[in-house]
Amino acid sequence: MSTNPMHQFNVYRIGPEVKIAGIDISFTNASLFMLISAMVISLFLFLGTKEKKLVPDMFQLIAEMVYNFIAKMINDTAGPKARPYFPFIFSLFMFVLFCNMVGMLPYSFTVTSHIIVTLILALFIFIAVTVIGFLKHGFKYLKIFVPSGVPKLLLPLITVIEIISYLSRPVSLSVRLFANMMAGHTMLKVFGGFVISLGVLGGWLPLSFSVALTGLEILVAFLQAYVFAILTCIYLNDALNLHH
Amino acid sequence: MFEKEDFKTRLKIANSKLKEREAAEAGKRGLFMGSAFKLGTELVAAVVVGTIIGFILDNWFGTKPWLIIIFFFIGSVAGMLNVIRTAIRMQKED
Repeated sequence: MSTNPMHQFNVYRIGPEVKIAGIDISFTNASLFMLISAMVISLFLFLGTKEKKLVPDMFQLIAEMVYNFIAKMINDTAGPKARPYFPFIFSLFMFVLFCNMVGMLPYSFTVTSHIIVTLILALFIFIAVTVIGFLKHGFKYLKIFVPSGVPKLLLPLITVIEIISYLSRPVSLSVRLFANMMAGHTMLKVFGGFVISLGVLGGWLPLSFSVALTGLEILVAFLQAYVFAILTCIYLNDALNLHH
Repeated sequence: MFEKEDFKTRLKIANSKLKEREAAEAGKRGLFMGSAFKLGTELVAAVVVGTIIGFILDNWFGTKPWLIIIFFFIGSVAGMLNVIRTAIRMQKED
């Protein structure tokens, strides 16, 4: 067993090597844990919606709670116009949440602790929101780069600032999730390593720290999934309801 | 003797109320930490994007050090703008 705290982030191939047009698309442990998360979500929602009881059982109650939570969040942040995008935001929230939570299990792999995964998610949202904005408003969508009530002299500078601010959205969205997950998991492993190296005499302090950190990490896992989903809603709101 | 018992129950109720409040505050502290991370990345992301744009434009126009410097500062301004906007949004949520 390796004591390197970064060892947990290694991506390795499972099964045969598959290459199409020079691009390596083999099945890795990252793909495995994405698949596991997706399957756990499907199973959970299947159990939750199997029999639609008037008095819900545990799974149905949790499924209904999650549904209400997301529906309320979309309604509060993006208004009723965003209702058609509910399935996407619901899947996004569930995927990020379950990837984070599955990563909390010992010996598992945290998919969201890799910047490429979160960046692709964020870039997809960014491009989708931009396309939706242009489809709904045409070239008027460019108005979000030109705030009203700005002196003409400052307008070019403000426009450049607004464009950079707009382009920084996918970066901040992806880096936040990735940094939180990676920092938390590295910290857990570092404290775990302290427990081993300090032995029975001094190991109790880092052990208690790592118990507390595990609790904090579960909170962070939920919070980051929530932040990811709510920011998607906020960006969607900017695209749907143009107000400047 | 009777009064002492009465005091004990009142003390118990007050203690449990205090504990409840502390638990609620601990939950909020987690949320605050989330917002702090949010603001930090918001600032850094804009600076990074601005600097990268400056770097690319420098390579295009061959004006080596100048555009990257200018865009670094514009990126910082955009970052501050992001932070202010996020903070305003957070205040609205509360």
